[in-house]
Amino acid sequence: MTMLNLGATILRGATVSAMTVSLMTTSVLGQAVDLSKWSPEYVREIAGTEEFDTVGHCNAVTPTDYTGKLTFWYQGIFEGDPQVMRDNYRDFFEAFRATYPNIQLEEQGITYNELLDKFRTALLGNAAPMTIRLQILGGTEFASKGYLEPLSPADVGYTDADFWPGAMKAVTWDGVTYGIPTNNETMAFIWNAEIFKEAGLDPEKAPATWDDVVAYSKQIHDKLGISGYGMVARQNAGNTPYRFMPQLWGYGGGVFDEADANPTYEEIRLNSPESKRALQASYDMYVRDKSVPVSALTNQQADNQAPFVSGQLAMMISHPSEYARMLELAGQATGADKAVADAVVENMRYGLIPTGPDGKRAVVFGGSNIHILKPEYVDGGKVDEPAAKALICMWTSPEWSLKLAWAGSNPGNLGGFKTKWMKERLDTIKFLDVTTSMLPYGIPFPALPQAPEIMNIIVPDMMQNALTGAMTVDEAAEDAAKKVDALLDGGL
Amino acid sequence: MSAGSETQTPAIPMQDGLARRIWIHRADYAYVMPAILVMMIVIAYPVWYTVELSFYQTPPSLQLRDKIFNGLDNYKAILTSAVFWKVTWNTVVWTFASTIIAFLLGLGCALALHREFIGRGLLRAVLLIPWVVSAVAASYVWKWLYHSDFGVIGAALVGMGITDKPPNFIDNVHTVLPSLIVVNIWREFSFAMIMLMAGLQTVPDQLLRAARVDGANAWQRFWHITFPHLRGVSMVTVLLLAVSNFNSFIIPWIMTGGGPSNASHIWITHIYELAFGRQRWGVASAYSVLLFLILMVLGYFYVKALSAGDDKRQGA
Repeated sequence: MTMLNLGATILRGATVSAMTVSLMTTSVLGQAVDLSKWSPEYVREIAGTEEFDTVGHCNAVTPTDYTGKLTFWYQGIFEGDPQVMRDNYRDFFEAFRATYPNIQLEEQGITYNELLDKFRTALLGNAAPMTIRLQILGGTEFASKGYLEPLSPADVGYTDADFWPGAMKAVTWDGVTYGIPTNNETMAFIWNAEIFKEAGLDPEKAPATWDDVVAYSKQIHDKLGISGYGMVARQNAGNTPYRFMPQLWGYGGGVFDEADANPTYEEIRLNSPESKRALQASYDMYVRDKSVPVSALTNQQADNQAPFVSGQLAMMISHPSEYARMLELAGQATGADKAVADAVVENMRYGLIPTGPDGKRAVVFGGSNIHILKPEYVDGGKVDEPAAKALICMWTSPEWSLKLAWAGSNPGNLGGFKTKWMKERLDTIKFLDVTTSMLPYGIPFPALPQAPEIMNIIVPDMMQNALTGAMTVDEAAEDAAKKVDALLDGGL
Repeated sequence: MSAGSETQTPAIPMQDGLARRIWIHRADYAYVMPAILVMMIVIAYPVWYTVELSFYQTPPSLQLRDKIFNGLDNYKAILTSAVFWKVTWNTVVWTFASTIIAFLLGLGCALALHREFIGRGLLRAVLLIPWVVSAVAASYVWKWLYHSDFGVIGAALVGMGITDKPPNFIDNVHTVLPSLIVVNIWREFSFAMIMLMAGLQTVPDQLLRAARVDGANAWQRFWHITFPHLRGVSMVTVLLLAVSNFNSFIIPWIMTGGGPSNASHIWITHIYELAFGRQRWGVASAYSVLLFLILMVLGYFYVKALSAGDDKRQGA
């Protein structure tokens, strides 16, 4: 049985039961696609079944002969992205300029880790852009502070049902919608089958539980002397919560009750026994077993790529784009390194994120949203709303929300799954069906203005305190819970 | 300029001595006024605003304009915070060790390069490389050299049989700060070397020759003749290095971001994280005010050292 067949078999059964997780708490009825049928087969079935006229649709929102000016910042490409992503971004801006030749667009691509800092600073000086595409974590913070204009899918000719219910939650504050999802993704578990085989593990089977990940990592390290699991624990880097939160939720923990069906964010659970158990698992891998990279404390996911492609790392969590990136890295390698890299790519496998001890499977429901700023915070004090809506209409269209998510994510607009380009993606991007199948297990970050600090600072800090021995696991968890409590109280 | 102004002294009677002096030097003031205005805008206003902000609470859930006055609470919170003392200790170690060692290394290199030998020019150019390389680029290069799993230094030590496994330089709370200090010294010693090489040009050769004739050994010549002549430039160099190290941001931020577990946070990186990562503008401003006061003290000694040199020359 090939990996794909095995994966499909597992996924078929698993996805049926996944519909009850938090992402699905909003009714699935009336969505642009039938989320209750979500499975690799269903995704393949609907791909290529509908045509969308992007230009015609957006012309009804903002006429294509409109003359205006727009400033736009976006969370864009970073060093770990494959070339196809760069090409698609370039194509989008060319297409926008061709469609709206009289809109003078000034765009700036900023990487994930820098965007929030830069945007916050710009807001303090009333020098923000008119439109911004932010990571999913940021929308609530800026909406709650009153920086954003209300903006809903209806403003650019779509409906809420065209987007994932969980994604719409992330752009809603106090009952008002302040943005439109551009893309949404969930990651998957990646491993090197050859390393598994050499370590005496089943090469075609991903670890089923997080306890298995700990055990596999140790077995691989002890037998082969290489790192097992690609832990990431860098502070102030988005990669860290994206990889630790699935583990935390899997064990039944959480920062609050964000993994519950109807979260209220009123109870802090970072110091619960389940959360401590999840942190203990990281401690066991890093300190007790020394089975993960020593550099995990300063690593981002991009730092895992070189060890993985050189056969020095066996497991990691990432996007489908990781496969394309590995292909690129293998293409750049020479001599003996190339043979190793080619073998790694050949042996690369994707599977579902492991579950916790009670069978709970969870993954961060990630993505980005696009917003319009209030004029008083914008450089020049004016927002060209029709120009902003023209850009947003194109970006969030089924066509471009899919193309701009090509290898790293999935379209925010569910109509993207029905386009011919989705079919092309499924045919050309290996393992896309696996990561797409994780979407129903996705849990959005808490929709609180304090969420960026909790996820980017407090959670990584908790990991570092435990992993460096600065605190015990218990102390680190309690310390983090106190920090969250103080933060919600307003802090200083 | 002053002389020119004095020839135009007006006949207007002046009661006030200060006002009269200002009037006499009015052309001088007119020339420096644009620079003073620019400084008022880009330095004085931000300083004033930072001091003001340090008395306000700025919760991350509110806009900055909705800040809440809380008197000295930010200062109290800082001074009673365990992190503050940890970061302060890191800052003291970082500044003191970087400054002293970079100065001594620079002095040694300056003395060595002051003598004529074949390849001196080439060596001087090579030793200047750390100073001219971008600090950002150097930080990334050193990060990879130190990498705990695949670093060149670790691989070399393992290859030479010195250690069984690569040493953990920057992912360990005990070794991270010394490791960063080494990088900082590597970058800064060239600056000290250039300053001291310039200072060495001012040491009178006839004095050194006379001392040699009188039987003074190398150490005596250095201690009694060379070093006293370098005192002024040494003072300036040490103060400039100290101020620069106190404010040093690039190396610790890029290489570790202050981690792991705050072990390499110094004041300036901690202030940045408080302000931009956590949006505690009030607390970050209070930190900045304290840092500003310390730097002003260092600045006072720096200006005094410079003035002492001027006074000495004028006396001569």
